[in-house]
Amino acid sequence: MARHLNTIPGRLVLMLLLIHALLMPPLFYVISSTVERTMKDSFIDNVRNFAQVFVDRFDRLEADVTEQRIIELLDSAMLSGQGSYAAIEVGGRTVGSSLMNVQDAGLFREDFAFGEHDDDVYYLSLPVSGLAEPAVLKLGYDESPIHEDLVAVRLTLIYVLSAYLLLTLVVAGFMSATIVSPLRWLQTVSRAISSGDVDRELKPDSRLEEISALADDLERMRRNLVGINARLKEEIAERAQAEADRRQLEEQAHHHERLRSLGTLAGGVAHEFNNVLQPMVLYLELALEDLPADSPIAENLLRVQELARRAKGLSQQILTFSRDDSDPRFVTENLAPIAEEAVTMIRALLPATVDLRIDINPDCSPVKCAPEQIQQLLVNLCNNAHQALSDDAGYISVSLGEVQVSDQLASRHSQLDAGQYVLLEVQDTGMGMDPATQERIFEPFFTTHEVGKGTGLGLSVVHGIVERHDGEITVESKPGKGTRFNIFLPCDGRGEQSR
Amino acid sequence: MARILIIDDEEDVRIALKQVLERAGYEVSVAADGPEGLDLMKEEGADLVITDVIMPGIDGIAAAKKIRDMYRDTRIIVMSGGGMIAPAPYEPDAISTRSYLASASRAGADRTITKPFDRHELLQVVQKLLEES
Repeated sequence: MARHLNTIPGRLVLMLLLIHALLMPPLFYVISSTVERTMKDSFIDNVRNFAQVFVDRFDRLEADVTEQRIIELLDSAMLSGQGSYAAIEVGGRTVGSSLMNVQDAGLFREDFAFGEHDDDVYYLSLPVSGLAEPAVLKLGYDESPIHEDLVAVRLTLIYVLSAYLLLTLVVAGFMSATIVSPLRWLQTVSRAISSGDVDRELKPDSRLEEISALADDLERMRRNLVGINARLKEEIAERAQAEADRRQLEEQAHHHERLRSLGTLAGGVAHEFNNVLQPMVLYLELALEDLPADSPIAENLLRVQELARRAKGLSQQILTFSRDDSDPRFVTENLAPIAEEAVTMIRALLPATVDLRIDINPDCSPVKCAPEQIQQLLVNLCNNAHQALSDDAGYISVSLGEVQVSDQLASRHSQLDAGQYVLLEVQDTGMGMDPATQERIFEPFFTTHEVGKGTGLGLSVVHGIVERHDGEITVESKPGKGTRFNIFLPCDGRGEQSR
Repeated sequence: MARILIIDDEEDVRIALKQVLERAGYEVSVAADGPEGLDLMKEEGADLVITDVIMPGIDGIAAAKKIRDMYRDTRIIVMSGGGMIAPAPYEPDAISTRSYLASASRAGADRTITKPFDRHELLQVVQKLLEES
């Protein structure tokens, strides 16, 4: 019960009941007493008028009137209205109406008030002057019909007031429903929002100012929260992205650092190697000169010379990887003819069955480059791609174009700055590589081929060349799908001076 | 006949170069390091000096600079094995041969040559430089 009283309809009903409990009794009292007074007054007025009529009739009687005539008059007074008593006192003698009960004749009292005593009769006493002797007309009228009417009026009044109370309660119930139902709706939506359905709108469904204002405020709050939420989500995503970019950059820097120190190590070895190779080459030449051409010793020495040449080639590749080969010739040139030349060379090197697709844009901006190194790079990458193709099925594609490196891309690659780059792409549909392999492909002597097939220097040389050109090389590869190498070379002639 | 001075700390390089150049008809003297080379220059003089870039004591660049300062007419060839040059174990801040050779050029070397070169290559360079002078 107490729970119901703490609801809006409960409070409203209780308030109305209290108001009516206070107001209705006095209202009832005022109405009923007003009605009573009115009815009484009109009764008394009527009765007095009647009485006056009879007084006038008695006044008009002649002096020698018979008692019979007086009784007739008294009878007619009894019959008109609600007469219950009619008598006249003439000279100490009382003559009563024949319609009156005999025992009633002595009942007349000096009772001129309405409703007093419990006899329900209103008595009147009026002087009559028309008779020979002074006389007093005494009349009594029945009050009970008035009393019955009054009871009926009070009952009606109670019915009306009860109906009024009931109607008020019904209206209050209806009114409270118009308050409660939008509130309930607000509550339902708020709960939905708080449990995650933040996109539900709090549209006020009420014309009540307070409720629509509350709904508006809540809706504003929801929008703010949704906005804050979205902003937070965005910020979190941005931070995650920044963190991922930073980690990628770090990994790249680490990778570059590793390759550089490997380059230093390998370059140092190559340096010592060349110092050993140098006198060997010269001694060989001197020894060969000292021998007749047909000497069997010369034959073997020529083989050694060939091996020394191979050794020289190897050490040069290592030096290219460590970016410390003897100064290549740098020129600022369009890469298209250089790439075309390399492609011709590659076609000759690859078996005729290999599908080599070329897409070279002839209108790229010039690049500061060492042409032989760029050709070496393409040959090495195509060679690598060919080795990735099983049974020469699939294809290798070489493309050259120009790209704009965005800030976003630059932020993810330590070697790239935003700006114009020439992009060389070498793609194959071969076996692809797993991430662990991709991680190590540029390391010198790292190879996935069986021993004796390739030196494991091809991609190291490619990396050295790209670094030497102040470019960036990226690898995209999926096992079983193929591999793509993207080589970015700066267009604006920054070349190698910038680093 | 032109006099050539070879400065290299590697004995075999000295011997092989000496033999090659002598066979080509040049007068050749050899030194194992910079100071010895400078002494020989004072004693005998030379039309051409072939020096290694890195040597103990005084390196090839310093030697080339001194020779250039003292003997304006002497031609100088600086040779290098390539690769990063750093005391073992190899350190990441090693100086590259490329930058060494560049500073050799700035120090007054007429030519730089990268090991390993063959006889033909060497004689061509030597001949050309001597003809120019």
